[in-house]
This record gives sequence, structure tokens and C-alpha cells, in this order.
Amino acid sequence: MAFLLRPVYFAGKKAVEGIAGIGEVIMILIYTLRTLPYTFKNFDLTIKQMISVGVTSVPLLFVTSIFTGMVATVQAEFQFRDLVADKFVGTAACKMILIELGPILTALVLAGRVGSALAAEIGSMREKEELDAYTVLGLDPFRYLALPRFLAFIVMVPSLTVISNCLALIGGWIVCVLALDITTYTYYTGMQYLFNFMDLFAGIIKAFVFGVIIFVLGYYHGLNAGAGAKGVGLATMNVVVSSSVMILIADFFLAALLFQ
Amino acid sequence: MPNVKIDPNDIMIELRGLKKSFGKQNVLLDINLDIRRGETMVIIGQSGGGKSVILKHMIGLLQPDGGTVTVDGTTISTPKFFDTRTIRKKMGMLFQMGALFDSMDTGENIAFALREHHPELSEKEVQAVVTEKLKLINLIPEFRTKMPSELSGGMRKRVALARAIALSPEILLYDEPTTGLDPITSDVINDLIIDMQEKLGVTSVVVTHDMVSAFKVADRIAMLYKGRIIEVGTVEEIKNTTNPFVKQFITGQRKISTEIHPVED
Repeated sequence: MAFLLRPVYFAGKKAVEGIAGIGEVIMILIYTLRTLPYTFKNFDLTIKQMISVGVTSVPLLFVTSIFTGMVATVQAEFQFRDLVADKFVGTAACKMILIELGPILTALVLAGRVGSALAAEIGSMREKEELDAYTVLGLDPFRYLALPRFLAFIVMVPSLTVISNCLALIGGWIVCVLALDITTYTYYTGMQYLFNFMDLFAGIIKAFVFGVIIFVLGYYHGLNAGAGAKGVGLATMNVVVSSSVMILIADFFLAALLFQ
Repeated sequence: MPNVKIDPNDIMIELRGLKKSFGKQNVLLDINLDIRRGETMVIIGQSGGGKSVILKHMIGLLQPDGGTVTVDGTTISTPKFFDTRTIRKKMGMLFQMGALFDSMDTGENIAFALREHHPELSEKEVQAVVTEKLKLINLIPEFRTKMPSELSGGMRKRVALARAIALSPEILLYDEPTTGLDPITSDVINDLIIDMQEKLGVTSVVVTHDMVSAFKVADRIAMLYKGRIIEVGTVEEIKNTTNPFVKQFITGQRKISTEIHPVED
């Protein structure tokens, strides 16, 4: 009988752990939001994080965005060749990039680059008792560690998304001019055609939500990292996997919400 | 042994019936311990036995599953109540690995909490405190620009001690202060522990399994064994103990010479 109950026990245990994990993620977010009144008190810490999250990610985004823009444009031209006028290549590229490719690509790249770094940093601080040291000194770790990172993520992910959008559109333009025999004028007018400010705005809103997701999951996995190199390694992997999945799920719901 | 007058009736930290488990592992079963104002109490016991867990209860990093923790007459935690804000500024802690903030230099590590808790202090005054604390731990002021990664194990602990005393606490907790250090550096740390007690008048609790250190710094020693404090006494009393488990521990014997079991599991 016991062996029959084992799967039930295992499933129940996993379910409880999952619910506890969701609860902890929500609590991290609440505790961080509670420190928002201190935003400008230690703003130097936030600036440092913004440089680490944002500025240092630009070179990587430069490469990924330019090439994504190029691929998207080539595919748009290839799929609709002989079906629609050339100017619609610019329209398709602009719509794709602003609504989906830019925000999603930026978020996934940042989940891999800075989300994993956040988990590794917090995990290693926890193991070295630095988090306890903050508490013992009467300093709230959420105010000094979580808040600057949270602000950096919610500001820099949308900002980087805008940069990524621009770079991808430039990539599309380059490939049009150099390989597809489409003029700058045609590409540019195509981009303007059917352009809706909501496309850009929705992309930025999405990026903001993705920034929150990467931060909160990075912090959560850092706080719950196991001991040693293996524990920290596992935490970094978990944050990339979980935030990538959550970004894609959130993207679906946001699309349904913003474009209904 | 330090040379400080201690009133045996003036209790600074009181642990009553302290219980703590992590999952299925019962770490603390029933801890009862009084730490007098101004004394250095050393808690000895095997690695992984729960010594650091006791320390973390005293400073409010952990909440007990049973029992109470009272600091300077104020109950700070029970299983149903937990408020450590009142005692935080009274206490400082030296962590096992120092736990220095890696992204800040030595001076910043010492000054950070000071600036946050005393915004009324000018930068000049903050730097004066940093210099004073560095002097107290026998480090020259030029050390303030060193990053934690540039410091040796012993130096890191000294800087961590300077950070712990930056807010002038009344109680200092030391978690394995000499672990991982060579005997000479260990002795430097021991002298600093005694200095802190004599110069600052702090109540100290030291958790260690280094008996040389324990005998040097302690006013009294408490032995933790299987989740209970099985003996408390002065250095002489502990050295002359008849308890076989304490005797075994302080002499570092692997096998015990008696079948008598001092505690019930």
C-alpha cells in the first residue's frame, strides 16, 4: 500500500513546495516595493546597478539585435516575395520588431546575462553571510540590495528594449539596402505605414513586466541557492529557465491584454 | 583570562528552554543559559552541533521553535513573537568568514552602517570613527582603502571586528573567530577579544571549538552536547571537570572512557 501512496506523497510535496515558492516570490516583491520611499536615499547604489545591468549589456544586445533585425527582414521579404509590394517588408519588420522581437529578445538575453548574474551574486552573498551581516548591522537587505537592483531592472530592461528595437530596425535596413534591393525610402515608408504608437508603447510595457520577472526570479533563486559552487550553478540555471518560461507566458497574457 | 569585575546577578542574555529544528533534524533540544553583563562566555561543542544556531538566536537571525530569548531584560523572540529591532543596535557580530561587503573597501565596510544610522554625523566625523576603530584593532588608517579581496583571513576578521564595533555595541558575538587561522594570528584575535571586553566593557559570547582560544578569552565556558548545555563553569572548573563528555572534548580524545551518558536523547 505504501508504494502506491508514494507518488501521491511526492506530488503533494512538490505542489506544496511550488505554492511556497510562489508565496516567497510575491513576498520578495512586496518587501522590495515597501522600500520604494528610499529610492533616492542611496541612489549611488542604483546607478551602479544600472551600469551593471544596462550599460554593460549593450555590446551583447548590439550583436543580437542587429542580426535578429536582419533575419526578420530577410524572412519577411522571402515569405512575401511576389505577393505584396516591397514597402511592406519595412511594415512587417517594424511591426514584428516593436511588438514582439525587441521586447522578447531583449528580455531573454538579459535573463541569461544579468538574471543569472543576480542569482549568483545573491547566492554567494548569502553563503558568505553578507546578507546576515546587513541584518545584524540593522540594515534592511531589501533596501540596500534588492531595491537598487529592482530599480535597475525596471528602468534598464525597457531602455535596452528601445535600443534593441532601433538596432534591429537598422539591421533590417542594412539587409534591405545591401542584399534585398529595397531602397532606404521604400523601407522607411513601409515602416511608417500602419505604424501605431501603441506598438511601441506595448513593447515598453512588456519590457517593464519582463524586468520585474527577471529581478524577482533572480533574487528568489539567489536567496534559495544551495551550498557551494554546485548550488550557485544550479541557481543560475534555474533563474534562466524559470524567467524564460515566465517571460513567454507573461508575453502571451500581455499581448491578449494590450491588443484586445 | 580577562580581568573584569562581573556581577553574577546582572544577566545580559537569558536563554530559556530554547528549541530549534531544521526539517527532521533537531538541533537545539532545550538550551538554558545565562550570560552575565560584561563577561566573556565561550560556548564549546562539536562542529555542526548547533553553537552558531544559538548565536543566531541571540541576535535575532533565527526565531526559536520553543523557549525564549531575553536580551538586557527585553524578550526579543519566542515562537509567537519576534521583534529584534530594539536590540540590534546593542549588538555586533563577527561572522565566521568575516562577511565583509565585497563591493566596498575596508573604510566603507566600517563606515556604511554608521552613516546610515547616524546621518547627523559629518563625513569628517565618520572618518574619525573609522580611524578610531581601525586603531582599536591595531590596524593603520591606510588600511581603509584596501578591498576585502586584498586582505588575508586574519585581516578580514579584524576588519569585520572593526565593523562590528563601529556602532559601539554593548554585546559582541563571535562565530568561530579563530577558525582557519594560524596559531599566531589566532592569538592576535584572542587578544582583540580580550581588548574589546576590557576597553569597551562589552559582553561577549564566543562560539568555538578551539580550546586554546576558549581557555584564553573565557570568563566562563558552556559545553553544548546533543542539543543541550551539559556544563557551565569557569575555565578552572571546566579544566577540572568530571563530566566525561566535557573531558573528552577539551582533551580532544576520540574515544570516551566511560559508559555514563550525561543527557537523555
